[in-house]
Amino acid sequence: MKALLIFVLLCPAIVNAAIVNESLYILKDSIVVSSGEKLPYLTFNASTSFTGTNARIVLSPGDVLDLWVHNMDASEHHFEIRGTTPSESILSGDSIHIIHTFLENGIHVFHDPLNYPNQASLGLGGMIVVRDHSYPSFYWNIKEHKRGQNDTVLLGGAVDWAHYSPDFFTINGKSNPYINQDSNARVTGTVGDEIYIYVTNTGQSIHPLHFHGYHVEVRASTRNPNHVGRMKDSQGIYPAEGVVLRLIPDKEGEYPVHDHNLVTTTGANVYPLGLFTTILIAP
Amino acid sequence: MMRQLYLALVSFAAVLGANAQMDSVLTLISKIDFQPSHELHDGNQILLMGYSSTVGGSLNLPSPTLEFKENDSIQLDMWNLSQGPPYTIHLHGLDVDQENDGVPALSFSVAHDDTGSYIFKAPHPGTYLYHCHETSVLHAQAGMYGVIIVRPNSADTMTWDNGYSFHSERTWLMSEIDTNWHHDTIINHTYDSTAMTHLVLDYRPQHFLINGKSEHQLVGNVELFASLGEQVYLRLANIGNYGNRMILSSVLNAQQVSSDGRPLPNTVLSDTIEILPGERYGVLLDCDAHFQGTGVVEYFNLNTGQVENTQNIAVTVDGYVGISEYLEEPKMFPNPATNQLMIALPESIQEMASVTIENMLGRRVLEQKISDKPIIIAPLVSGNYIVRIRSKGREWNRKLIIQ
Repeated sequence: MKALLIFVLLCPAIVNAAIVNESLYILKDSIVVSSGEKLPYLTFNASTSFTGTNARIVLSPGDVLDLWVHNMDASEHHFEIRGTTPSESILSGDSIHIIHTFLENGIHVFHDPLNYPNQASLGLGGMIVVRDHSYPSFYWNIKEHKRGQNDTVLLGGAVDWAHYSPDFFTINGKSNPYINQDSNARVTGTVGDEIYIYVTNTGQSIHPLHFHGYHVEVRASTRNPNHVGRMKDSQGIYPAEGVVLRLIPDKEGEYPVHDHNLVTTTGANVYPLGLFTTILIAP
Repeated sequence: MMRQLYLALVSFAAVLGANAQMDSVLTLISKIDFQPSHELHDGNQILLMGYSSTVGGSLNLPSPTLEFKENDSIQLDMWNLSQGPPYTIHLHGLDVDQENDGVPALSFSVAHDDTGSYIFKAPHPGTYLYHCHETSVLHAQAGMYGVIIVRPNSADTMTWDNGYSFHSERTWLMSEIDTNWHHDTIINHTYDSTAMTHLVLDYRPQHFLINGKSEHQLVGNVELFASLGEQVYLRLANIGNYGNRMILSSVLNAQQVSSDGRPLPNTVLSDTIEILPGERYGVLLDCDAHFQGTGVVEYFNLNTGQVENTQNIAVTVDGYVGISEYLEEPKMFPNPATNQLMIALPESIQEMASVTIENMLGRRVLEQKISDKPIIIAPLVSGNYIVRIRSKGREWNRKLIIQ
C-alpha cells in the first residue's frame, strides 16, 4: 500500500521523466589565466575535445541520468557525485557507467575525489542541475588557482594546503573582464524576470559573493539546506558546495557581483583581474 | 585654503538647494592621514584613508556610523580631499540604483577636491555597510569603511516593525590590518587616470580588529555589560578579507534573527555565528543568567580555513538591576526641541546617568551628567541627532530633532 502511494506521488515526475544519456571525458591540457600564463589543467568534457570549462549536465526532476565517464588521461582518476553516488576509480583509458534518478530540483557537485583535494584542484569539478522550469538560468563554477601547484600535483609532489594562497580567481575558468563574455555566466535579463543562478565552488577557498543592486533568495544549498529562503546580498559559497540563487530584479541597470574577500578581485596581485562580473538588467 | 573654503561654500549651497525634499542630508569628507595616527594595540601608528565629518583632525577606524530611518529619503554628500585618487561611497546592501551605487565607471567617482551626492532611500531596517569602491581592494583595507544602521519607524528599540524588541544594542564591525598596505606610498599615492590596473601586495594581516581595536584596546571600547533580563541586539558585520566566527556563551541564548538587512525566515539558536566578508547578522541575546567571561571572535583564513587570530570581548551579565526596572524607560522632552532638553529618569537608574548627543555622522557634540536641570542645546545647529542615555551599564538611544 505504501509502495503504491509513493508510486502515485511520483507519477507526475515520472510522466515527464526521461532517460538522459551523457558522457564525460577526462582530458588534460591547459588554461590561460589573467596574467597570460598557462596552467596545466584537467576538466570533465562533453566530447573528446578539451575545453577549459567543465561540462554541465542539466536534468528535469525524475530524469534518469545514464552517464559514462571516460578517462582519457594517462593517470588514474576517480568520479563521485557528492552525496549521491560513491567514489569510483577509473584507470587510464577505462570508463565507468553510472545510472541515477534525480527526483528533486537542485544542484549537485561532481568531481574527482582521489587524494582529495589534490586531483580536484587540477580542475576536475562540475555541476549537475535539476530544474523544472525554463526561466533564464546562469551557471557559475567558481574556482581559484595557485601558480605552480598543478605542476606539483601532476608530478606527484606534496601540496602544502595549510599555507594555500591562490593567485587566480575564476568563474567558469575565466577572470574579469572575460567572465562577462561567457553567456552562461554573465547574468542578463529584464526587470521582473525570474532568474536563476546555479553556483558551485570547485576550489578550496570559501568565496563570499556580494551582489550589488539586489538581494537574491537562496533556493537550495547542499551545505546549508536550512538557509533556503534567506534573502542575501552577500552569500558565502563553501568548497564543494552547490547553491541555487533566485534573482527577481526590480530595476534596470548594470550591477557588479564579486567576491568580497577583495583580495580575490586581483589576479597575480593585479587589480581588478579577478572574481568580478556584472549583472545587466534591461527596463 | 581659499579654494577649499570656496568649494565648501559651493558644496554647502548645493546641498541647501537640493535637499528640500530630503529627510536626511549628510556630508562625509573623504581624506587621508598625513601623519600616522591610528594606534594599533602594539603602540605602532598607521596611516589611514577614511571618511570623516571634519576637514581637520585625524581619521577614525571605522568611519562614522550613519543612521537613517526606514524609508527616509537621503542625500549623502561627499567632499573628496584625497590629495590624489578619486573616491566613492558604495552603499553596501542598500540596493540603490546604478547611478548611486558608488562603483567607478558604472556610477561615478569623485575626483580630488570635488564633491558628489548619493541620493537614495533606505526601505529595509537593518545593518549595512559603506565603503569606497575605487580600487576597492586597496581603499577598503586603507580604512574607507563604516556601518549604516536603518531603524524602523515604530521604535529605535525594535529590529523592524512588528519584529523583536530589545533594551540595548551593540555594533561590532570586524576587519583586519596589514600594516604593509598602510605605507605612505600606498595611502598617499599619486593618481594616474590612465592606469587600468593596480599592483597590490600579498595580504598578510597582523592585526585583527573589532571596531578598529584589538587586544587590550578592546577593554573599555568593545565590551558587553548587560543586566539580568536584558535583551541585547548585536549587529555583527565583516568588512575584512577573513572569515569571522563569533563564539558566545550558551547562557546568552544567542538567536540569529536577521542577515543582510532582512529578517531570517527561520531564526537560528546557536552560540556560534559565522560572518563572512560583506555579511551582516542581527543576533538577539537574552541575558537571563549571571555570567562573567568572554565572547570570542575567531579570524579564519578563507583559503585554508585555519584560525589565525582570536580576539576576546569581556562579557558580563550582572543582576543588580531587576527586570522590573527595565520596563522603566527614560523620557526625553520636548522633541523636536529648540533651546533646552529635559531627560527624566526613573529613580532606579538616576545614579551616575549621563547623556551624549551625536550628530548623524556619529560625532559627539555634547556630553554631560544628567541632573534635574535642563540640558542646554541652543548652541547646536538645527538637524537630526542621536541622544545616548547611559546608566548602570545600560544605554538608551533616541532620535532628537533640533529646530
